[in-house]
Amino acid sequence: MEKKLRNFNITGMLFILPAILIVILLLIYPIFSSIYFSLTTKNLIRPFYDFVWFENFKFVLTNPDFYKAFVNSIKWTFFSIVGQLFVGFSAALALNRIPRFTGIYRTLLIIPWAFPAIVIAFSWKYILNDVYGFLPNLLTQLGITSSNINFLANPDLVFIVVVLINIWFGAPLFMVNILSALKTIPSEQYEAAQMDGASPLQVFWHITIRHVRVVIGLLLVLRTIWIFNNFDILYLITGGGPSDNTTTLPIFAYKVGWGMKQLGVASAITVILLLFLLGICFLYFKLLDKWERDDR
Amino acid sequence: MNKKLFVLFLLILSLVITACGKEDDTSNQGSSGEFDGEITVWHSFTQGPRMEFMQSAADAFMEEHPKVKIKIETFAWPEFYTKWTTGIQSGQVPDVSTALPNHVVELIDVDALVPLNDVIDNIGRDRFYEAPLQEGTIDSDNFSIPLYSHAQVMWYRKDLLEEAGLEVPKTWEELFETAKALNNPPNLYGLSVPMGSGDMMATRFLNFYVRSAGETLLTEDGKANLTSKSAIDGINYWVKMYNETSPEGSVNYTVLDQANLYYQGKSAFDFNSGFQIGGVETNSPQLVDQIDAAPMPKINESDPDNGIETSNIPVVVWKNSKHPEIAKAFVESLYEKEEYIEFLHSVPAGMLPALKDIAEDPMFLDEPTIQKFDNAVKIISEAVDKGTAIGMENGPSLQSGIITSQSVIEKMFQDIVLNSVPVEEAAEKAEKELNDLFDMLSR
Amino acid sequence: MVGRNKLSTALTYVYLTILAIVSVFPLIWIALSSIKSSGEMANYPLSFFPKEVTFEYYTRVLNDLSFTVNIKNSLLVSFSATVITIVVSSLGAYGIVRFFPKAGKKMTKVLITTYMFPPILLAVPYSIIIVSIGLVNTWTGLVITYLSFSIPYAIWMLIGFFQTVPIEIEEAAKVDGAGKMRTFLQVALPVVAPGMVATAIYTFINTWNEFLFALLLINSSEKMPISVALYSLTGSEILDWGEMMAASMIVILPSIIFFMIIQNKIAGGLSDGSVK
Repeated sequence: MEKKLRNFNITGMLFILPAILIVILLLIYPIFSSIYFSLTTKNLIRPFYDFVWFENFKFVLTNPDFYKAFVNSIKWTFFSIVGQLFVGFSAALALNRIPRFTGIYRTLLIIPWAFPAIVIAFSWKYILNDVYGFLPNLLTQLGITSSNINFLANPDLVFIVVVLINIWFGAPLFMVNILSALKTIPSEQYEAAQMDGASPLQVFWHITIRHVRVVIGLLLVLRTIWIFNNFDILYLITGGGPSDNTTTLPIFAYKVGWGMKQLGVASAITVILLLFLLGICFLYFKLLDKWERDDR
Repeated sequence: MNKKLFVLFLLILSLVITACGKEDDTSNQGSSGEFDGEITVWHSFTQGPRMEFMQSAADAFMEEHPKVKIKIETFAWPEFYTKWTTGIQSGQVPDVSTALPNHVVELIDVDALVPLNDVIDNIGRDRFYEAPLQEGTIDSDNFSIPLYSHAQVMWYRKDLLEEAGLEVPKTWEELFETAKALNNPPNLYGLSVPMGSGDMMATRFLNFYVRSAGETLLTEDGKANLTSKSAIDGINYWVKMYNETSPEGSVNYTVLDQANLYYQGKSAFDFNSGFQIGGVETNSPQLVDQIDAAPMPKINESDPDNGIETSNIPVVVWKNSKHPEIAKAFVESLYEKEEYIEFLHSVPAGMLPALKDIAEDPMFLDEPTIQKFDNAVKIISEAVDKGTAIGMENGPSLQSGIITSQSVIEKMFQDIVLNSVPVEEAAEKAEKELNDLFDMLSR
Repeated sequence: MVGRNKLSTALTYVYLTILAIVSVFPLIWIALSSIKSSGEMANYPLSFFPKEVTFEYYTRVLNDLSFTVNIKNSLLVSFSATVITIVVSSLGAYGIVRFFPKAGKKMTKVLITTYMFPPILLAVPYSIIIVSIGLVNTWTGLVITYLSFSIPYAIWMLIGFFQTVPIEIEEAAKVDGAGKMRTFLQVALPVVAPGMVATAIYTFINTWNEFLFALLLINSSEKMPISVALYSLTGSEILDWGEMMAASMIVILPSIIFFMIIQNKIAGGLSDGSVK
């Protein structure tokens, strides 16, 4: 280790020092403080707290609401990710093969990405409102539904609807990144494959997928973390309801930390969440490393 | 490198911890003669004349005390709550603020307020109504002063009742029949039953029913009561109402969604205080002549008038304040007769006086909206007299904050109407959940 | 293959058109609703174009609710955060690519793990840090917290861009006697300039849209950024969809315009090399 240190390039260090300092200060410290709080009875507003070791973890892990939120989180993340990938990938493939208007379509398709969470919530809640909303009234008008249905109140629909909104919001990111990866595929490869008489499916699998899979893998890592941790979209649209149907772990942690003011317990929830995400990312990275090795 | 980073990290950590551990010494007494200093006032009057009034009250105070600077900040209630709960960690709280009775209880619990007995004595202790004063009182220390009051009453549409040849309902059963008769979705709903977990509307509705039966949602020893006969009857009643006369989406409604439906002329009945008038006026001016208030329905017409739900909105002075004497003087200045009446008139018929003499003062009564809705004002005033905040029937309690903030009752209703959980089972589960949450309070 | 192409191309256009309509609909609906009268919004939920156009909500939002002040605040905060992010991240990304190419790979993973903590739980530690350095209720304090999420992502994007800079041209500069800093500023930066612009705009939008930390760390309304002002509308005493739609339009329009400008560049970081 000492030897390595001496070999470090001073100029190089100077380049990256500000970034390292900021990352440490702003991310490592809060994480450690949360780990510490997770072992205490830290209250949001009371000044004093006790050290209780793993009491909070015991409380969380024996709480059925925690498991419900956990399952919701996994469902929410999985379906959102799969949907975003499917829509984003198919849109990218479509954009890549049309001869004209590519720019216009891409511009229109990217718009949802620019929406801040609060505007996502405002606009969709308004469109889906069962009294004044466009969609429920339209469905009734067309005779598809007999009376205005409320998408955000119906326990059978609400989860699907919020996932669809999340797909709507997140698909452009997949689309844009996959599209630019597609553009880097040399056209000779396709021509060569055609001459070899490969079927379109084979071409797709052996050339297209193989070229974009690392980009997709990285996007999956990023988005899995992001969606799993996402608080504001769900909270602003449903608040976790109705009947806790859309309460994911971050919302559960918020309710415990702010509603019940049990910051210690809330910290324990996030520590568990962190461990889970680390595990997932470890698996992703294993796969990515393998792909990257294959590519060489 | 890792080692160095770790040391650096520990260093920062310890710095931060010591920095937080330090308590500022705030006993900075102003000189006896003249006020000198800056105070921050947070209030929750986010719109219109009320907001302007607070500014002009501050301006007037600053004019009188040239060395004083008052900074006013406005936050809607949910933001307000988030801000002070987080701010209390870092000392980022105001000197003076409005509050909700539940906030006051929590704030007293963490010792964040100063007693205001002297201010109350200066204004005139016997001018205040007794019940609102009690909501912020622990061991004869008054930690909050009621600024205005309002109470929940039933609002109806005169034109709709008249067209259908129906009477104003006096019992819950009559209300159900009338609402059902008027129900004509999607243009008009009889009565919307809000159950959104974003706030406490379903708790409020259940409380109406339970209180009218002479019971309370919190027992005297601070336990939840959702399984008594009248509580179960109440739950059944609102579920029935939801199924028959309410928009399906009301399962997600919070206070604004609920009120908005009535403001837009889309529901025939609603429960609210005099604030309902302003809402209708803004959204559907043509309907203002068609609305009126009536007393809360009862179980039997001959039942006694039990108090239902009164909200007394108080002001508090924070312990963290560097200039409590300025803060107190500012609070006192709000109650000077002319200014106070001007304040109440900023939401005419919505905000009723916390001072007995003002309630009868011709100057207060001489206001077009108050006169036009004199019947409603009379009914609300009577309701204000008897009611309390939800769960505070037996005095201030932290449990009342849990019951209105944790959406347990809202989720119970949602479980019943959405997942067809039997009423008794849902009520038992919710009662247990509430009691568990109450236990956490002492952790 | 050519024979089938016409049909499948047509189907591709149909698919894209459907996606485009779904993508754009909320924006169009916000725009149309923001100029309808409140009676029309409530009573004719299906009418598409307003019967009479009103700009009342816009004037109300901008004048009475002082959104102009909030816009100014947001511009200032987002601009400062963006400049700092770009300076720090360009240095960092370049440093990683040129001087620690091996560690760089691990670094990207570390950067990703920094996102594994839900922002909502960062709120308390942040408010404690910001208070302890005396920056509560200041734009500086807010900008610092914004760096926490903008810098890792910006470095990550920029690493990709810097990897596209051919090492040969830098070596050529070195031969000419340029120092490391000069090589960075005069040789590497110009090459990645388009990527930097994209990163900058992306950072700008993210900070412009942020609302949780702004809500918690800024106490005075004259310093509030626009996202908080927008959120405040939901807590007002009377729910006014018209105002909410007009305010949404004001918040979202700059983001959309910026996004359209950078859409070509935004993907560069991922596909151009950070992974290779």
